[in-house]
Amino acid sequence: MVADATNILLSGVFHAAILFLVAAGLQVVFGVQRIFNLACGSFYALGAYFGVSCVRWALDAGLPPGLFILPLIAGGLALAVVGPVVERLLRFVYDRDEAFQLLLTFAVVLMLEDVTRLVWGTSPVSTGGLYLIYGNVRLLGAQVPVYNLLVIGASLAIAVLIGFVLTRTRFGRIIRATAENREMSEAVGVDMRRVYTRVFTLGTVLGTLGGALVIPSTAAMSEMGVELIVEAFAVVVIGGLGSMRGAAAGALTVGVLRAIAIATYPELEMLLIYLIVIAVLVFRPRGLFGEAAA
Amino acid sequence: MSRDAAIVEAVGIRKLYGDVCALDGVSLAVREGEFVSVIGPNGAGKTTLINVLAGLLRPNAGTVRFKGRDIGGIGPVRLARLGMARSFQLVSIFPALTVLEMVQVAIVARLRRGRRLFAALAADREVREQALEVLALFGLADRAELPSRHLAQGDKKLLDVASAFALRPEVILLDEPTSGVSTRDKTAVMETLVAASKRIGIRAIIQVEHDMDIVFGYSDRIVALHQGRVLADAPPEVIRADEAVVAAVIGRPPEWRPT
Amino acid sequence: MTAARVVVGAAVAAVLAYPLAASPYYATHMLMFFGYAIIVLGLNLLFGYTGLLSFGHSLFVALGAYAAAFLTSHFGVRSMELILVVAAVAGAAVAAPVGALCVRYARIYFAMLTLAFAMLFHSFLMKFYHVTGGDEGMRVLRPSLLGWDLAAVPKIQFLTVHYYYYASAVLLIAAVVMWRIVGSPFGLCLRSIRENPEKAASLGVSVARHRWAAFVISAAYAAVGGALLAPTTGQVDPSLAYWTHSGNMVFMTLLGGFSHFFGPALGALVFIHLQDQVMSLIPYWRLVFGAILAAIVIFAPGGLMSFVARSPGSAT
Repeated sequence: MVADATNILLSGVFHAAILFLVAAGLQVVFGVQRIFNLACGSFYALGAYFGVSCVRWALDAGLPPGLFILPLIAGGLALAVVGPVVERLLRFVYDRDEAFQLLLTFAVVLMLEDVTRLVWGTSPVSTGGLYLIYGNVRLLGAQVPVYNLLVIGASLAIAVLIGFVLTRTRFGRIIRATAENREMSEAVGVDMRRVYTRVFTLGTVLGTLGGALVIPSTAAMSEMGVELIVEAFAVVVIGGLGSMRGAAAGALTVGVLRAIAIATYPELEMLLIYLIVIAVLVFRPRGLFGEAAA
Repeated sequence: MSRDAAIVEAVGIRKLYGDVCALDGVSLAVREGEFVSVIGPNGAGKTTLINVLAGLLRPNAGTVRFKGRDIGGIGPVRLARLGMARSFQLVSIFPALTVLEMVQVAIVARLRRGRRLFAALAADREVREQALEVLALFGLADRAELPSRHLAQGDKKLLDVASAFALRPEVILLDEPTSGVSTRDKTAVMETLVAASKRIGIRAIIQVEHDMDIVFGYSDRIVALHQGRVLADAPPEVIRADEAVVAAVIGRPPEWRPT
Repeated sequence: MTAARVVVGAAVAAVLAYPLAASPYYATHMLMFFGYAIIVLGLNLLFGYTGLLSFGHSLFVALGAYAAAFLTSHFGVRSMELILVVAAVAGAAVAAPVGALCVRYARIYFAMLTLAFAMLFHSFLMKFYHVTGGDEGMRVLRPSLLGWDLAAVPKIQFLTVHYYYYASAVLLIAAVVMWRIVGSPFGLCLRSIRENPEKAASLGVSVARHRWAAFVISAAYAAVGGALLAPTTGQVDPSLAYWTHSGNMVFMTLLGGFSHFFGPALGALVFIHLQDQVMSLIPYWRLVFGAILAAIVIFAPGGLMSFVARSPGSAT
């Protein structure tokens, strides 16, 4: 019983760790640029596919399988280059109605969907059982892959890093100031263009990294990108739009609840999440940590 | 209701924003036929008071009554139906709608025709004629088919106010009706407003205004707010002589003379 | 206005004459157009006229389509008229509570909440496969039109003649009804809400109620369109409810031009035929269309109609 519970809990936390990365990317972009990036799931998918390719190249080039996590992370980080490209596109619509911004990110979703199809084909792609190379560990009676614990740890480390950047560095202060008051920041001399590019790139790389890290335990599939957006939305609603702590709390909630649902009543998997989203919007629209006003 | 009873009455209004007290026990009564101006420096609470009177904000303490009825926080829609309308400080129009259509919205709402899904608006003569009447009062009838966004700024302000007047309200709240209007045109705007009020049969006007010439030229009574409290509530001559008000609000004795 | 009437008249005539001149392949494409034209007419009531962007209309399209499937396959109902009415009622019935919740929220939340509801329905269709057939979907049997049982007619002929004219008639009726709606006092209130909800409220327009009504009407249209589409393929599946399907429908609306009454229908026409052309050249139509959408949003947000007719600004 305890073993089952531990299994469920840890698989939930693993999923939450990945969700947090994607949601954090979504939050930081929304917080600063007020754009809800529908393509965050597409970045995630891109990271997954590219991660697989990087691992394969590295292994073919002779890398010992035990180090596969390195090309994986490198792949996720390398895709940061996509950020400025997409941001350049979004720059055209910063001063326009939100509907148009949303639709432009949808255009990016469409394009990236076919880009992944074009490059990697339509069948699922994976690294197989490679991650088992790190073995399992017994925790409270459950067999937990060490890889999963590594990812949870990495995600925690990134969360701490983000917290540090936001509170202790100049860039972080600029992000927080801009999120709070854009005009004021501009008036004070902050170069908005560079901030936007950097923030969007940060959001992108968090998404691609999340996708890369999730790969070993699942396969990269063409629907990954469009599927994830709904969970990401649930995370930001529950946690509160624009808040990093919200991303963490929301991700944990969604991840664990989903794991519980899958283990007990699979039909309810997403149903439960949706009901919670609706309940949150009705009773506490700003979520756990968000700013007021929906 | 006796002639002395107040149409709009605020008693002991307190409004807090977190720890900040925007209104601290403000009381104010407006009677039939009165033109009351609310003045005060920025931050005195004028906008908050207007929003409380307009049913947008619910006071933390105290009551607001309109025709004897508690209207605290009932919202703009219900308030408009009860017979109080307001205009906005920053010009608030429907840019893509024509001048005529903007006024028609008010009339449609007033006549409760917003539910008619299949009747043709273009064929509704009653709505059209009433709208044109209101536009004529404000000198905008010749531009009825123009998209509102193409009007000059001052005319947009007039249109904003005209649409509120089209509701045939009993009381109208004007939030800085001459702001954004050039000094030369301010008197013209006020004369239009007063004439229109008479035509439509508006029973009382409450305005927030910064221009002291306008305030002293048109008000029956002036309410001076300072730091969330009523500093003085009296006819213009009394206010002018009140040194405390002059110092806190006006700054210098007004030079206005009746024409 | 007369020039516009001539154009519309010519378009109607062209549509009616089309099956006589074109190949059956293209004629069946027009069937898709009829269905989607009705859907986007409804969608634009919400978007172009009321200013609300919904990413969840795929829910109602799927609802209408599955209603057609259920009625023909499981309940032995063949009357297309009954199917359309049931679809409209079902769409409105689901939209009433969903809309009541969604219209309380501002722009982005509204879009995402409607998206979530669509995906909720998608999830429902997938998981409860005993009832809905899961990801394989359900069959839609050939309905009877105006009481005529046309089961004996060969498929191509049924689709390109009988069903073609039937569907075009349904579209015509739906368009006339929508034309009346947008030209009504109700329509004026919707437009005022789109322009400036705060001002509209101060004039006594009940913003939430009007938005809700627009939502329900647009949902009924989407369901009718979905039901009309179902017999053309004879098959319905959960992908109809997926949020990207909603996105494509908004794309159609934007492509044609959301500020004009006929814009969305034009967009649907162009989208469907263009998609077919592109797919016959390369399988990566999304890449092309994504680029087109980006170009429209950035350079020509008024859509195709903005090149054809000077936008009156207010969708009239």
